[in-house]
Amino acid sequence: MELRVIEKTDTELRIEIAGEDHTFMNVLKGALLEADDVAAATYDMNPEQSGGQTEPVLTVKAESGDPLDAVEAAATSITDRTDALRDAVTAA
Amino acid sequence: MTEADFDVEYVERDDRSARVLIRGLTPAFANGIRRAMIADVPTFSIDTVRFVENSSVMFDEMIGLRLGLVPLTTPLDEFEIGDTVTLALDVEGPATAYSGDIESAEAMVEPADENVPIVELKEGQRLEFEADAVLEAGKEHAKHQGGVSVGYRHLQRVSVEGDRGEFDDEEPRILRGVIETPEGEVVATDEFGNDLSERYPGKEVRVEDVPGAFVFHIETDGSFTVEELLLRAIDSIEERADELRTKVAV
Repeated sequence: MELRVIEKTDTELRIEIAGEDHTFMNVLKGALLEADDVAAATYDMNPEQSGGQTEPVLTVKAESGDPLDAVEAAATSITDRTDALRDAVTAA
Repeated sequence: MTEADFDVEYVERDDRSARVLIRGLTPAFANGIRRAMIADVPTFSIDTVRFVENSSVMFDEMIGLRLGLVPLTTPLDEFEIGDTVTLALDVEGPATAYSGDIESAEAMVEPADENVPIVELKEGQRLEFEADAVLEAGKEHAKHQGGVSVGYRHLQRVSVEGDRGEFDDEEPRILRGVIETPEGEVVATDEFGNDLSERYPGKEVRVEDVPGAFVFHIETDGSFTVEELLLRAIDSIEERADELRTKVAV
């Protein structure tokens, strides 16, 4: 996973997350959209053959606060969930 | 999102295949786990073959392809992606070379099934080779997929609305997957022939998806157990979220 910030303002962030695919990006987008301080979140990914930008680009618009913090919070909420899910699977 | 409250229940459970009901998932998360099970959990598979003798009717390349598709047991705690294990086979005709004839240098990595035919050898034909199996993920090559036919459906809640009209025809109501009965029981539909009119004869029933409840059908190729595959898929999502958090925090 290589991160490269493409554009960053106080409330907006465009960041390339190289090496990832829909598996993780969609989970991340889902987690971002559930957060209250996120106004919009999406990611864009082009097919291998398109020849242009093929690594996923995440776009986050924050309602308040730094969008980078929102990404960090989303990552934390994913690990919280995987932890809980792992316990539930092991217990079943 | 913050209050993660999951409930996991095995509807059917075997070493190699299972149906697991997980409640409390978002669609994105369910799909992430499904995709991770297919493409991101690595397994061993033969990747390089050095032929000593191949006087069978098949070309080296054809045998190489067939060998790649033989599932190998994969203890993921012991190996890392890119690790290799050497295997060998020596069979002389008349006989059929089976996956069970493959000898492994590492007792933990061996063919998961011993009855996969590789090639039939006639009198005087012989197959001898040494091969390297490599640990890789399914996104590199489909032969490394540990999960086969991994998918999910919504859990479906069935409620009895009342009696069917006296002169109405009894029509079959075909349904596949797993249902939640009005009594709160979780039942696979093949228990009643996938036909709701068999289970609730003469009743008017309504079927609706239960939000956030996913029934995963998971089948492995024998590389590891279903539970191992599911846990590894969850791990792989977690690893990436962890990595993202550390990199963003810097």
